[in-house]
Parts: sequence; C-alpha cells; structure tokens
Amino acid sequence: MKILKLQQMKGRSLLILLFFTGVMNGFAQLRSVSGKVLNEQSKPMTNANVFIKGTIDGATSDSLGNFSFTTSQKGEITVCARMLGYAEFTVQVSEKKSTTLVLKMRPDNITLDNVVVSAGNFRLKGNGQFGKMSAVDIVTTAGSTGDLYHSLRTLPGAQMVGESGKLFIRGGDSNESQTYIDEMHVLSPYTTTGDNIPVRGRYSPFMFEGINFSTGACSSEYAQGLSSVLALNTKDVSPITKIGVNASSVGASGGGTQAFDKGSVSLSLEYQNLDPYHKLIPDRINWIKPYQLISGSSQIRFNPNQSTVFKTFIGYNRTTFIQHLTSPDNQTTRNQGMTDDNLYLNSTFQKTTESGYKFFAGAAFSFKNQHVEDAVISKDSYRDKEWEVHLKTKVSKRFTDFLRLNVGLENFFRHDETSYAYSSTISPDSINHSIGALFATAVLNINSNLYGELSDRMEYTSINNLWNSNPRVALTYNLSGVHFSGIIGKYTQLPENKYLLLNKNLLAEECTQYVGGMYYEKKDKVYRIETYYKKYNDLALQEPTTLNSNGYGYSKGVDVFFNDRNLFRNFEYMLAYSFCLSKKKYQDYTELSTPQYATTHNATVSVKYNIPIVKSILGITNRFASGRPYHDPTKDGIMNSTTGVYNSVDMSLTYLASKKVIIYASASNLLGRQNVYNYNYTADATSPGGYRKTPVIDSSNHFFYLGIFITLSGKTAYDVSNF
Amino acid sequence: MKTIKNFLCVFFFVLPFIVSAQDLAPVVQSVNKENDVSGLIQVRSQLERFIVAQPQQWLAGYYLAYVDVQLSFKVSANDDKLRYLAEAETYLNKLSELKETDKSEINTLKGLRLYALIASDPQTNGPKYSGKIISDYETALGINPNNPRAIILSALFKNDMAKFMHQTYGNFQKDIDNASTLFAAESSAVLTPTWGKSWVDFALTKK
Repeated sequence: MKILKLQQMKGRSLLILLFFTGVMNGFAQLRSVSGKVLNEQSKPMTNANVFIKGTIDGATSDSLGNFSFTTSQKGEITVCARMLGYAEFTVQVSEKKSTTLVLKMRPDNITLDNVVVSAGNFRLKGNGQFGKMSAVDIVTTAGSTGDLYHSLRTLPGAQMVGESGKLFIRGGDSNESQTYIDEMHVLSPYTTTGDNIPVRGRYSPFMFEGINFSTGACSSEYAQGLSSVLALNTKDVSPITKIGVNASSVGASGGGTQAFDKGSVSLSLEYQNLDPYHKLIPDRINWIKPYQLISGSSQIRFNPNQSTVFKTFIGYNRTTFIQHLTSPDNQTTRNQGMTDDNLYLNSTFQKTTESGYKFFAGAAFSFKNQHVEDAVISKDSYRDKEWEVHLKTKVSKRFTDFLRLNVGLENFFRHDETSYAYSSTISPDSINHSIGALFATAVLNINSNLYGELSDRMEYTSINNLWNSNPRVALTYNLSGVHFSGIIGKYTQLPENKYLLLNKNLLAEECTQYVGGMYYEKKDKVYRIETYYKKYNDLALQEPTTLNSNGYGYSKGVDVFFNDRNLFRNFEYMLAYSFCLSKKKYQDYTELSTPQYATTHNATVSVKYNIPIVKSILGITNRFASGRPYHDPTKDGIMNSTTGVYNSVDMSLTYLASKKVIIYASASNLLGRQNVYNYNYTADATSPGGYRKTPVIDSSNHFFYLGIFITLSGKTAYDVSNF
Repeated sequence: MKTIKNFLCVFFFVLPFIVSAQDLAPVVQSVNKENDVSGLIQVRSQLERFIVAQPQQWLAGYYLAYVDVQLSFKVSANDDKLRYLAEAETYLNKLSELKETDKSEINTLKGLRLYALIASDPQTNGPKYSGKIISDYETALGINPNNPRAIILSALFKNDMAKFMHQTYGNFQKDIDNASTLFAAESSAVLTPTWGKSWVDFALTKK
C-alpha cells in the first residue's frame, strides 16, 4: 500500500515537474511588441510607458516615440500606454508572434479641466500667475496695508478710488463687484467706516488658500455682479495645531487651530482701537469716540476621506465710533455715531464620486445691522437691517474628452428694512424678495489648442416677477504658448436696495461684455493685454419725477499687465496700466456723464526685493491715476471739471525676526501728497460767499502700520496665520 | 499526501509574491542609483507597471512617489514639475489610508514633496509650506525616531532655515552622524525604503 502511494506521489511529482518544464518552455517562447506612441497631432511622444496590462513587461518610448519589448504572454493581450498629463490608452492585441502598434494618446481629464476659458481672469491651464494671488503676495505688496481689496487695487482694471477702499472695476460701480467665499455669496464684505475713510475687507487674506480675481466675464455660476467677482477659497484641513498672537499699531488679535485626524477647528479673535494711533499720529477727523472693531471667526474643516470635504465658517464683527462733523458751510455740526453688527455663516459640502461626478452644496447666511445717530442732520437716526440667505447646489462631470458639463441651482432670499427717524417722525420701509437661478456651462475641448465655453444663467427675480437669460460664449486659442481669448456675455444684477425700496418694479440692470485679450507666461514672466467694451442697459435712473430703469451707458478700455518675478536674484516687479473711458446716464446723473469714481488712466509700478542678509522683504509701490471728474455748480453742464492727478508712493517691510516672530511695517503716501478725490459744494449760491467748495481728501496724508506676529505653537514657522 | 497538497497550495499562493518581491528588488535598488532624468523615467515606468500588475505592493507606489519627487527636482519645465508632484501627492494620500504602510516613511516623503514644491517656487511656496514640512518630519520622527531619512531631511531643512535667519542649527552634525549610522545599519536585502544616503553626502557639503 505504502509502495503504491509512493509510486503515486512520484508520478504526481513527475507531473508537477513536467508542468513547470512546460511553463518554463512557455517562458522561452517570446513574442515581440513594438510600435510608436503619438499625440493627437500625430507627433511622437517621448517617455510614454508602454506595457502589457497585468504584467511588468513593457518599455519606455524613445525620442521618436518608438518602443519595443518582448513578452512571454500568450493569447490576447492588452497593451497599455501611460504618460502623465495624458489619458491611459489601451488596445487589445490578438495572438501574433510580433505586433507593430500605433498608439495615439490624448490629454487626460485633469489636464483638460485645468483649462479655464476666461478672458476676464486669464487663469489659463491652471498656472496663470495673474489674478491668482497668495496671502503672502498680498501683504508684501506695498500699499496693501495687509488688506485684500487694497492689494487688488494695484492690478489692471481696478480704479483708484482712495476715499472708498472698495473695488471699482473697469468703469463699474463698487456694487457691481461681488465677493464669494467657497462659492457662497458674501452680502457685506467690507468693514464699516466714516466718510472718506477707506473701508477694508472683513476677512484676513491668510484665511484663504486661493484668491481668484476676475475683472470681468466671470463664470455663469456667480450671480449679481455686472463687473467683477472675487472668488475666495478657504484653506483646506490644517494638519498643524498652532496658536499665534499679533499686536499692531491699530489693535491686537490671537487665535489658533486644533488639528485632528481628519479635520481641524480654527478660532480667531481680534480687537482694533484707533485711539492710541490717532493720539500719536492725528488725522483730520474729530473723533468723539474712537473707531473700534471687535471680531471673531471660526472655521471647522472635515475631510472624512480624500473625496469629501465639509467646511463651516462663521464670522462676526462689531464696529463702533462717533465722529464730530461740520457741514461744508460751517453752519451746523453733529456727532455722527455708528454701530454696525455683521454676521456671516457659510457651510459647504463637496464630494467627488468614483465615476467622476463632482457634487457641491452650500448654504450661507449674511446679516448686517447698522444704526447711525446724527446720520444726516443732528438728532436724526437711521437704521438698516439687512439679511440674505444663499442656497446653492451644483454637479459637474466630464463626459468625454470633448465635453465637461456643469449644472447648478441656487436661490437668494433677501430682506432689507430701513428706518429713518427725526423728531417724532419715523419713516420705516422694507423689502423681501428672492432671486432663483438655474445655470449650466458646457466646457468644450475642441482640440488641445482650442477651448470653448458655452453657458447660460436663467434668473427669476421675484421683486419684479421677471425672468432674465444671461447667455455667454468664450473661446481660447493657444498658439505656441500665447493664449488668445475672447468672450461675449450678458450679465444682470438687481439695482441697489435703496432704489428697490423706492420702486419695486425696476428691471434688473444689464451689462453686455465683449472682452478680447492675449496672455503669455514664460518661466517667471507674465505678459497680458486685454481690451473690453461694456454696454449697460436698464440702469436705475432718478429723473425729475420718476425713478425708472431708463439708464444706460458704456465703458471701454485696455488693461496691460507685466510681471517679472526674477528680473535678478530676489527682485520682482510688476507694471499695470489701465485706460478706461466710461459714461453712464444713471442714478442722479441725468445726462450721459463720466461717473465721479471713474479715472481714464491708472498705473501701478510695484517692486519687491527679498534681502536675505537682513532677513527682510522690502516692497515699494507707486500708484498713479488721472484726475477724477466732479460737478462744479458754477459751470454749465454736469461733471464738468476734473481734480488733479492722484499719486501715492507706498512702502512695506517684512522682517523675519525669528522662526516664530515676524514684524511687518507699512507706510502709505511717503511723499505726503494731498490727493483730492472730489469737491463738495454748499447747497446753493445764497450761502455766505456763494458756492463754497470743500475738497474730499484722505483723513490723513499717511497711514502707518506696525505689527508683530508671534507663533506660540511648536510645529510651525514663518506663519502669521492662526487659521 | 495532505502535506504535499498543503505545500502546493502554499507554494502557488506565495509564488507570485516571491516573484514580485524578487522583481521589485532590483528596481528599488536602481532607484537609489539613478541620477539623470532618463534613468529615473525608466525606473518610474517599471514601478508604474508593478503598481498596475500588483496593486497590493505598497512599496511600488511609495517608490513611484519618491521618483516623482526626484524628477521634479531635475526637470526644467514648471508644468512637468507640478505634474510629478501632483502624482506623488495622490500616491502618498492613498498610501496614508492603508494600514500596512510605514507611516513614518510616508510622512518623511510628504515632507520631501513639500520641499520640492518650495524648490519649484521658493517665493510663493516657502512661507506656505515651511510649517507643514516641519510638522511632517516631526510626525515621522514621532512614529519612528530612528528613521534616518526623516532625521537627515529634517536636519537639512532646519539648517537651511537657521542659515536664512543668520543663525546656526546646533544639532546639525549630530543629526548627520546619527543618520549615517542608521543608514549603515540598514539592510538593502529587505524590501523597505532605503533611499536617502545621498542626502547625508549633500548635508556634509552644507556644513
């Protein structure tokens, strides 16, 4: 029995041996696979990885795109070609002793999706430096005083409206520029200040990972912005736990971030009081109670997995001050007191499925409550309580190499109530309305050099019970690295609430934009030129007896931008120039006139020099703008005069005292020039001395900022951000 | 008979792993030797084939991420640098979610990838990623204080930072010596991360 078993085992061993011998013989019978790898223009592709799927048999294509290798695989095989930036190419090959293949590869979805067809911001192929800034770029730009909006004013297209601080883009009013955080609308992005004191952004630039500034022709998913959109993306989950504090010439702040396994929570608190600063450097305003700002913000970020992101942000600001004001004729005085509360809450969810669908859903709540005592005359009072709820959802997917679709729905619910009180008379007013929208965009990759975008935004505005369609078409052509881009699009926006409160039947204001330009980026240099024509219709117009939508106008011009980030070691400079002609018959401009904020020429020269020997970055910015139009009642016509030119030389210095300590200093208008933005006139010629004019100028010739940022936690360095 | 059956079952089950481990070993060794772009691209192609053929081999993905980072240092076109670094990030994120991977090594490589990002655009990325690099190396050393790659890369980064601040990093020599000793003790016969000795030579030039 045992012998039999042994014989059986020997027999099996022999079978196994024969099996392996057969296998080895099989290995010995090699077949060759060779061919050429080409791109979609039939040009050879070097370094493509060509192999048989499921094996390690393969080769890399040479400089002529040729490849050749042998394999022991029998039967039908799957030959696969891979290369970064290109979609995987596979082909089934039947059993032949030798095979010669031609493999044609096309750009992959990531490469295709990085193409942003937009002449407005020129962020093409995802690498454009212009219009995509980092927080460090912002604070080290002299003249920005660490503020996002002040920094954006150095870019072409932005106009120098020094007494406001808000964004005025390409002849458009400030309300034509909208701010979005994580794709959700911000109703009130600016701080509240007194007359002729420039506002600042409510949010620190260090909160944001991506800052995309479109000076026109924005995506169809952004609403209610005739001129520009500032799209801000908050930072992703922080892997670092950190705590930091900051003290400056205007206040103090502190906060930190606690990192968890798949999320992080950030908290920041800030207090500003300009009293000590004004005691040291007095301004022209008679402060009864100094400007004070208390603010707090928090963000929760959670990434349960690589494809899902939750973010919730909440920010609260309270601003208070009382200033003593004198009327232009020196006849009356009043103590104007301001209390402003602002709350912003934003929650978003994003998920990318394995099948390539990208889902987004978000909700935002903006609330503003403003109370002004002695608002217009002594003893009066003005209250404005405004809120907005913004709900948005969208889905996008690339269906083919040729087509990507983006479809979404959103709704804005808005409420505004105002109340003006004087003596025993109270005049309340309010509006409630909503804006519903459906938007769709088709991105067309016609070929690797020609991209198109077709989009429409259908909006329903409940206040006037009207529908608006906003079709847009964009094309970009890449000619040897030089991108030519053109856009034609329609944009609509409801008039400001102050007009809707008076006439709820006003139409949505309309702007048709024609934008064309050229963009070239090479190594550290960016060249850009862009021309535009904006045609306005249905603008709110205050005529002698009616407030209607008969206003119209235009704006046209050219923007030029050049940036060299490495002219020589550690030296960077930027040149920006804008030429803009703008005329509108709108609001209280009863004739087609250049608006008071519009300047024909704007230019900026900005340099930054990193000086390692003193561990510092020095920035100098020189801004120039031609004179602003103003209305002189002693002359015929309206907007019949022009102020002098604007010029300001600003400087900033960032000093890295140690890994944990950064000192930042900036000074504006070093030459002390008194820039005049406008003239206010007494109401009529019967005032003593006839019309008396008062120049609108900065509250002080200079603004100095000195701040120290200290990182208290152990795992971070050179980081002024608590978020 | 049962023994033979068990042997055959185990043999055929283990065979692909033995073969793959043997095949991967020379590729991994060549990663440590390759210096020029074309050589690294060849190695990268081989690693990519391993990943497709044997997705369970985490070391192939890990080394591919490493080669991507190396290539980003060597290619001149910025688009290419960013593509390699983006792919490295994708692999490192995937590997972070796997249980069997060496998290100390993954965090070290994450730190090196950020260092490469800084090298691609120091002005923009320096302030942005400095804190995260320190954090990655500290996390790596927290998991394995004897990781020579984390020790030498952390030392180099701290030394560079100190130089930038016109200071000196006091532990630089000690870290170099420690890393050298640990590298010398590493066995190249075992399929684990073994790259990094060249960083010691590089550190010695920076003293």
